[in-house]
Amino acid sequence: MAIEWYLIVSALIFSIGAGGVITRRNPLVVLLCLELMLNAANLALIAFSRMHGNGDGQIFAIIVMVVAACEVCIGLGVIVAMYRRRLPIDVDELRELQG
Amino acid sequence: MNGRKLEGPAIDFAGLSPLLALLGGAVVVLMVGLLRGRAAREHGVPALSFATLAASLGLTIWQLDSSEELVAGALAIDGLGTVLNILFVSAGMATVLLSWRALAPRESAHGEFHALLLTSIAGMVVLAWSTNLVTVFLGLELLSIPLYVLCATEMRRATSLESGLKYLIVGSLGSAVFLYGLALIYGATGSTDFAGIAEANSAVGLSSDPLMLTGIALSVVGLGFKASVAPFHQWTPDVYEGAPTPVTAFMAVATKAAAFGIFLRLFDVALIDSATAWAPALAALATVTIIAGNVGALGQSSLKRMLAYSSVAQAGYMLAGVVVTSGLGVRATVFYLAVYLVMNLAAFAVIIARERETSLGDDLAAVEGIGATRPVLAWPMTIAMLSLAGIPATGGFIGKFFLIDATVDGGYAWLGFVIVIGSMISLAYYLRVIAAIWMRDAPAVAQSTPVPAGPRPALAGGSPEGDAGPGSVALGAESPPAQAGAVVYGGEPGGGKAHWEVALVAVLCAALTVAAGVVPQPLFDLVQRCGDAFTNLV
Repeated sequence: MAIEWYLIVSALIFSIGAGGVITRRNPLVVLLCLELMLNAANLALIAFSRMHGNGDGQIFAIIVMVVAACEVCIGLGVIVAMYRRRLPIDVDELRELQG
Repeated sequence: MNGRKLEGPAIDFAGLSPLLALLGGAVVVLMVGLLRGRAAREHGVPALSFATLAASLGLTIWQLDSSEELVAGALAIDGLGTVLNILFVSAGMATVLLSWRALAPRESAHGEFHALLLTSIAGMVVLAWSTNLVTVFLGLELLSIPLYVLCATEMRRATSLESGLKYLIVGSLGSAVFLYGLALIYGATGSTDFAGIAEANSAVGLSSDPLMLTGIALSVVGLGFKASVAPFHQWTPDVYEGAPTPVTAFMAVATKAAAFGIFLRLFDVALIDSATAWAPALAALATVTIIAGNVGALGQSSLKRMLAYSSVAQAGYMLAGVVVTSGLGVRATVFYLAVYLVMNLAAFAVIIARERETSLGDDLAAVEGIGATRPVLAWPMTIAMLSLAGIPATGGFIGKFFLIDATVDGGYAWLGFVIVIGSMISLAYYLRVIAAIWMRDAPAVAQSTPVPAGPRPALAGGSPEGDAGPGSVALGAESPPAQAGAVVYGGEPGGGKAHWEVALVAVLCAALTVAAGVVPQPLFDLVQRCGDAFTNLV
């Protein structure tokens, strides 16, 4: 199979993720879309790794997965902290800081 | 299998020691933070954190002349790495002093706050030493993820949490875009190693390869988010304003140094042969950044927001040093980073001192009239503002001079003009602060004790239309925790008096700013070391 197909799928997933981050209002969904973007990069890395015949891309992808998990942990932690303070869980409502 | 041994990578522990000291210190600090004794937590943890940073600084100076690979092509120590390392660790030491008796570590926990700070600095060190796309990404995330938490550490203040979440979303978006760019660069060159990328790039002539160009574009966008380069800077004022001020100070100086370190390494080493493709784009971004930052700062009444926009503008100046792809440009950028560090820390230290002395927060009114009442704070702020604007006899002037010299030398003379015009615009808002310090009387309310709702009702939480005073107060009363947050904000620890260590940081940084302007030679000598990483530059 040609590399193009993998790249097209990966670019599609990346765009869905980016679109979601920009348009969705729920921070949980935003985090989910960020994961999509990172995993799109993973798919590209692994496809390139296969194409070049070296393992660098696969190692990179595994490290990205670890980092993505850390990021989600922090994100959920902040959202829980906001929930406890009864702040609106909505990205559009976060406008105390503006000007 | 038959008798073959698995060869582990050669690791140079002596070169790695500044990083290991930071990570070890982070673990120790986290453990000490669990002790029951109050004194151990409140004073022992910052002291240990400071000692860790001092140890790391000492080890960096010990390794100042080394230039070698550390871990199998993943990390390498060289002149740029060690000089940036000194900057990160100094910023960390100042932050430890500024946050010693601040609210943020008390509200989260001392151990966690300082462990996160040390981990973030470790991430910056990894980033500054990385010679591989994998370690670049790892370092970038290791520095960012602790910062997301640090922004949200004043957990009872809604704006702190909001800034944490905003920074998390925008920062992760930047990281994801950057990662996709790195993946495409790997795809185009078949290597994650900087040397391998440069080799493939020059051998095959990938400068017009769509994969490579898309990769470069996406990594510029991703790094632009991190370094707050316009048009990716919108998060900066919000996050800087909402984060606890010591964290803001750290973010402003250290993150910028790390981001520009990697800008220099990625673009001036790995992608140098595609310079014809990315240099004009970066020059355009630098122009937009200088204009957007300086114009945005004009109308701000919050000092932290003003400094946030000013940091955007300064990022534009420093980007000019990356654009020119010369050894002079690298040195000018690092010189400016060092000067930027001390002048910004001086300004933030004064803001922190006034936040604790008054109930006005970081509003411009908080520094009104301090020329007469608090000269020990007024002078550092004045020097910092003059230096940020680039007035002679301060480090900021020499830094800008050096950058403009680099732009003219590198064939981007028009970018030098943009820097000059940007500095002219910036005088308007820097001089406003100086005028407030020296020419106005201290407002009568400035020394008042904390009032429940505070003079800044927006901080009382909850309401989207936070600027409507009475409505917001009523809303604060509906949700008791929100109001409690406002009370705590007004009543900083220490009962309305500044602490000596904050004034010390302010005075020390201001003195260094002037020193860098009057006798710049020692700093020139230090910056001169940065060249050895860039063998392919003149």
